[in-house]
Amino acid sequence: MLLADARLPTGAHTQSAGLEPAIRAGLPAESIPAYIRARLRTVTTVEAGAAVVARSRTLTGTTDLAADLAKVDLAWRARTISPAMRETAALLGRGYVRLLSTMWPAAPAVAALATLHGTNRGGTGRAVVLGVAATLAGLSADQLVRLIGYEEAQTVAAAALKLEPLDPMDSTGWVIDVQPEIERMVDELSSITDVADIPAVGAPLIEQWAEIHATTTQRLFRA
Amino acid sequence: MTIVGPRSLRLGVAGPVGTGKSSLIAMICRELAAELNLGVITNDIYTDEDARFLRSAGVLDPQRIRAVETGACPHTAIRDDVTANLLAVEDLEADFAPLDVVLVESGGDNLTATFSPALVDAQIFVLDVAGGGDVARKGGPGIGRADLLVVNKTDLGPYVGVDVPAMIADGRAARDGRPVLGVSRLDRESIDALTSWVRSVLASFRSGTHVAVDPGPMAPHFHAIDEGQGYTHAHEHADHPHQHAGPATTRA
Repeated sequence: MLLADARLPTGAHTQSAGLEPAIRAGLPAESIPAYIRARLRTVTTVEAGAAVVARSRTLTGTTDLAADLAKVDLAWRARTISPAMRETAALLGRGYVRLLSTMWPAAPAVAALATLHGTNRGGTGRAVVLGVAATLAGLSADQLVRLIGYEEAQTVAAAALKLEPLDPMDSTGWVIDVQPEIERMVDELSSITDVADIPAVGAPLIEQWAEIHATTTQRLFRA
Repeated sequence: MTIVGPRSLRLGVAGPVGTGKSSLIAMICRELAAELNLGVITNDIYTDEDARFLRSAGVLDPQRIRAVETGACPHTAIRDDVTANLLAVEDLEADFAPLDVVLVESGGDNLTATFSPALVDAQIFVLDVAGGGDVARKGGPGIGRADLLVVNKTDLGPYVGVDVPAMIADGRAARDGRPVLGVSRLDRESIDALTSWVRSVLASFRSGTHVAVDPGPMAPHFHAIDEGQGYTHAHEHADHPHQHAGPATTRA
């Protein structure tokens, strides 16, 4: 629950899950629910798939967890074409690593993440960090996927209120409405254990918007 | 990210929109860039306007000035979730090590916005005379308990009908002796007082005697209510430390 709470201090309030550039590019407010579904089926599915594998690796406790998690991260990167989106996910990953380091300072998995983030500012994307967080918090793979799907939908819905004149009741309704979509993600992703099985589904337009946003000066949200 | 050696003093600058936070930072940079290694983080609400202003002011290497987006939540970014700012500060410290001071400029917010001690070591709250002579009397956590209260643009007093010494006295009354500084870019003496305050905080931070004071989200002080008959302390002060940075300057 805490991991999906916007009040968790990991910098989530700086994010619109790509909605700001989408709206700037002309996405009408009535299409925001479709935008949420599009993200859940593409970039969020990739992220959740990588997180599930990272959780599985952390649970198994391999001999070189840092190297193993780096492989999962590489698989996620290979499926995330936009450099801006990778950079954003790495920044969010750092925020979570900071939190995990405080909550589970002695955990070997946190040490593995710290190794990956200490040597490279890009660090790992958020997916791998969330996989580790889920393991430490005792979440099942189902719960992890559900959490990532919910968080994505809620990020878009919350940002929409800042970007468009909307009734907060409506945007809350969108999040409830995509629940079947999130459950479909759970069915598809929660049993993956091999990096090769992480879905490779891109969203070229969302990625292009992310790239444009990275060089935009007048913006409310980081991404 | 691990910073080798002692990290910089992180100095926050908060206050309502248009009171001169960016100009104050530009002033500090202009005055101190020759003797101190400085960096700046800005938190613009809708643009990187402040960062661009500071870069164009030419007082610091543009690469040392970075903007952090706050998702329309400038208050959150300095108080409840400082992650984005903290990562930006750490990156700046790593890229330009060793930095002496990183100035963190809050997006212009209301009188209740103050920095979390998790983000900054000390903070300046900025008001200006053009915003109204009564603002200092209104109090609030920043006015009451920031490490320094600046009453900016004192040279504008005669043009906006504000009694500057009275406004500064209001600030003093709200602050239990914490420093208040009237500043004008046209008043050399005030600029020197500001920079010597920054130096004294840095010295105290380095000597390990500086304690980050949290102005906190508490209800404002209402000392000025008892105007003319002295003022009473209706609030408890024992719950937050009162140590102050060195010989902080107070002047009218």
